[in-house]
Amino acid sequence: MLSVSNGLKLVGLVALAALLLSFPSLAPNPFLLSVGVVIMSYAVLATAWNFVGGFTGYISLGHAAYSGLGGYATGLLIVKADVNPWLALLAGSLLVGLIAVPVGIASLRVRGASFVIVSISLVLILLLVFQSWGSFTGGSNGLRIPRPFGEDVLRPEQHERFFLLHVALLAVMLLAWWLIDRSHFGIGLKAIREDEDKAQALGVPTVTYKLVAFVLSAFFTAAGGGLYALWFGFLDPVFQFSILVGSYMVLMSLLGGIRSLLGPLLGAVIVGYAVEYFKAAYGDSQFHLVAMGLLLGVVVLFMPDGIIPALTSLVKRFRPEASSIREVTQAELVEQRRAGQAGGPPADRAAHPVAPVSEGGHR
Amino acid sequence: MSLLVQSLILGILLGGLYALLAAGLTLYFGVMRVVMIAHSAFLILAAYLAWAFTRATGLDPLLSLVGTVPLFFLTGVLMQRLLISRLRPATLTMMSVLLTFAIALVIEGMLGFVWTGTQRRIQLPYGGANLEFAGVNIAVVKLIAFGLAAVSLLALYLLLTRTKMGQALRATIQHPEAARLVGINTDRVAGYGFGLGLATAAIGGTALALDSTIYPSLHWHWIGPLMAIIVVGGLGSIPGAAMAAMVLGLGQALLQIPLGTTWAQTCFYLALFVTLMVRPQGFFGGRLAQRF
Repeated sequence: MLSVSNGLKLVGLVALAALLLSFPSLAPNPFLLSVGVVIMSYAVLATAWNFVGGFTGYISLGHAAYSGLGGYATGLLIVKADVNPWLALLAGSLLVGLIAVPVGIASLRVRGASFVIVSISLVLILLLVFQSWGSFTGGSNGLRIPRPFGEDVLRPEQHERFFLLHVALLAVMLLAWWLIDRSHFGIGLKAIREDEDKAQALGVPTVTYKLVAFVLSAFFTAAGGGLYALWFGFLDPVFQFSILVGSYMVLMSLLGGIRSLLGPLLGAVIVGYAVEYFKAAYGDSQFHLVAMGLLLGVVVLFMPDGIIPALTSLVKRFRPEASSIREVTQAELVEQRRAGQAGGPPADRAAHPVAPVSEGGHR
Repeated sequence: MSLLVQSLILGILLGGLYALLAAGLTLYFGVMRVVMIAHSAFLILAAYLAWAFTRATGLDPLLSLVGTVPLFFLTGVLMQRLLISRLRPATLTMMSVLLTFAIALVIEGMLGFVWTGTQRRIQLPYGGANLEFAGVNIAVVKLIAFGLAAVSLLALYLLLTRTKMGQALRATIQHPEAARLVGINTDRVAGYGFGLGLATAAIGGTALALDSTIYPSLHWHWIGPLMAIIVVGGLGSIPGAAMAAMVLGLGQALLQIPLGTTWAQTCFYLALFVTLMVRPQGFFGGRLAQRF
């Protein structure tokens, strides 16, 4: 049994999947295809960020630490230990998830402010370490990673395969997000987001829940970073551990809507396209910092809930109202009362219990 | 031995500057529960203004303080009244981080836009002068920077303890609701708190411009250590921030001898991590810091 709105959602999802899967064959040239891979990579990172940012409301500005670590872990496992690339990707991501445990314990026991401070500090310290420790990480000269596919696979073909790999990773993450969103665990996380004190008072194990969400997010972010590293084939600490990359993830999720499943994806498409356009049109000038800062400021001040909630509320305005007040005319009321008086016990009151509360409360 | 003494003195001099800047950073947190990422961006902005002032007029960069301190105070008040206070109270801590981060990006971008990304340095007649003192060499500019920081910190201390406005500020930090009950206009006081915080950035930036090379993205090298300091000292505690700054500044200077400058910086982050593991409310933080 599918209701109309669920059916519409299903159709939309199928259309979205079809659009994503057919993009490689639709893209007119390899350059646009490579832009597509970059945007999908942003989408993966933003969705991974949203596991902690969206569910718990803890904003991490330093998720570039995990994507960078994921990239380096994957790369170093391949270069130094000669591990199979796909195994290295998985092992590297798991390793980063493990690293995230003590970081999470340190930063999540107290409330938001310390979490933010630790998240930024981690990026800064990792940049310092990976630049200075040249003998192991390649330092400022960067780290070159061999391609996972053979030499006979040409560039456009590489782009196509990596685009599809990114889509697959994104699909796994979206499924995980959807499942958590409907679980007891997800309800606990959302309670923490809305009011941590009350959640704690109601018996939600806040620290554990936050930690699990945080580690999961770090794991997926690392997987995204590792996949990007395999595609790009070159890592430079300045770009891997950049505060700016971390803030892109935040901006994308926030712009799309951190409470929605597809919000980060939508944000990544918009912001990612804008970033790539800016780079192509104006080069790497300082101007993109100003544009990024202004956009982030405007979103925070005027649209903190993102595009998707703003659009849904607009659509809801034109729908029949789901009001919590039951509308009864005066004549009907008189009729009910008379029936109640005549029939002894007011049976009609039991038949018309308290009007169902509509699912309001979207803040 | 003299190397050790030299590092010790350099550590104290550096710690003084850290103390002033961390006091400003913890002040914002105290009055508004805001982690002000743009603090160090304003620091670099002040350094650039001092540099531009000296280049344009040929006068001493310290004279630029006459203009930058009131300007930054006013900017701080306006920033609090027009931007920060517009955010929803429920998500203030998180959203203010993003907002001040956005401001930092805009400042960094504009600095690069106006004065390009080239490294800049003020040429001072006394720039190369050294004071020799019991076998220890101390650059005069570092002494001036420390003196500036010490005087400002003392002024801040007197302002907070001896004046009516200072009392109102401290009351707002300790308990905003109670402060409102005794008739303090906490909104206005929070604006003054922001103004004072930015004024410390103006003074610190001028002191920084005396003996450092500056470039637009330099502020990222400052915000990390400063944030670590205020957590170690206890969020919202000004004495705690000053003391943690001194200890960590000394630690950094002493670690530079065996480890070199780059690795010595990690002492801030290590201290941050250890503090959060052992004593998450910081070493001098009170009731306030426990909840953040």
